[in-house]
Amino acid sequence: MIKVIELKRTVTDSNDRDAASLRRELTERGIFLLNLMSAPGSGKTTLLSRTITDLTGKVRIGVMEADIASDVDALSINALGAESIQVHTDGMCHMDAGMTRDGLAELNPKADIVFLENIGNLICPAEFDTGAHRNVMILSLPEGDDKPLKYPYMFQKCDALLITKTDAAPYFDFDLAVAEERVRAINPTIRIFPLSAKTGDGMKDWEDWLIQEWEKQKNA
Amino acid sequence: MNDSSFDVIEVRADLEAENDRFASKVRELTRKRGVFLINLMASPGAGKTSVLCRIIDVLSPSYRIGVMEADMDADVDSHTVTTHGAQALQLRTGTSCHVDAKMTLRGLEYFEAKMPDVLIIENVGNLVCPAEFDVGADLKLMILSVPEGDDKPLKYPLMFTVSDLMLINKIDTAPIFDFDISKCKDRVRALNSEMEIFPVSAKTGDGFSPFIAKLKRLIDVTLTEKRKGVSQ
Repeated sequence: MIKVIELKRTVTDSNDRDAASLRRELTERGIFLLNLMSAPGSGKTTLLSRTITDLTGKVRIGVMEADIASDVDALSINALGAESIQVHTDGMCHMDAGMTRDGLAELNPKADIVFLENIGNLICPAEFDTGAHRNVMILSLPEGDDKPLKYPYMFQKCDALLITKTDAAPYFDFDLAVAEERVRAINPTIRIFPLSAKTGDGMKDWEDWLIQEWEKQKNA
Repeated sequence: MNDSSFDVIEVRADLEAENDRFASKVRELTRKRGVFLINLMASPGAGKTSVLCRIIDVLSPSYRIGVMEADMDADVDSHTVTTHGAQALQLRTGTSCHVDAKMTLRGLEYFEAKMPDVLIIENVGNLVCPAEFDVGADLKLMILSVPEGDDKPLKYPLMFTVSDLMLINKIDTAPIFDFDISKCKDRVRALNSEMEIFPVSAKTGDGFSPFIAKLKRLIDVTLTEKRKGVSQ
């Protein structure tokens, strides 16, 4: 027998205006900003590293690494020769528009596309508009195909979903069709790209979409 | 960031103080009723529910087990644990990203009539926020899974600092992930020298015996102390 208690929902949406004005400014400066979100360890940095390497010569990519502590991710991105900056949130579990603005001011990017690699968290970052033009999320195979049921806001909010670590499929009971169905039930228009940043499988579809969305933004 | 056109009120300390008051009430209640309270924390998909089912299977012959499942908006885990023979209560936290002491107290009061010996809170899947909230638990148990990577102690230090016991789950997948267990242990112990670490696989059952033996000892010692205190 299960009893269900509904706890009070706290709403924090004061940051929407800041985000809208940051987005306008970035559009004027010709910077296409993407907010990349996922649970800890889904492979955000690996995905970005692979994407940067694959698109070298086609488009300039910059990265803003947000972490509570440490700078291991910024060091990895830096090693690829991409513009990068490490933002420490000092315990905060998400990035908001104000923090994104401050980070961008420091980075002062010459890049065409900038990724904000958000804190590893499937919950809080979904509630805060960072001013990004697109929201992209990663779900990795080992996390399980039930995640859209449990963290629906993140799946609702994103324009694209990358299902990563597909090379690990033999080890996990992850049903790709079931996962896609669950995601589409809450977000019918989301683009879904299964891929492995380790082997490179499926990377091209995601990269084509990225370039296409950037060009759309440029010509808007 | 600094803008002199407005005032800043720090409310964080107040919130923490309020949470600590509720955590004390939780401790008082679990002492009085002889309950061992576990706060189980991990990232989404690290295997909390699978680990929980293994714990329930092994402990349920000796103890009455209750589970508080915290989820934003779902009750799939509650269904799973009830089929393993535990009493379950689903806490829907909405957009809240952690369980706090006040929610825990409310949950405990729900079990009032048939209080379990061991009550396990399956916290929201999140390696950040739950670490900040003391819920009054006797044991903070965390899980890190192999696919997440051995660098997580560097990135989410608070969770590793506040936890008492840690499982490294999904060790059956080690062949395909570059996870260095001894490097991970070093990183954890640099933050928390007291941390007890057990590599396990909830899928195969590997590594569970030493962990369960440790858990049983902790439960028995704590419950004996609590019950002795009450009868005096």
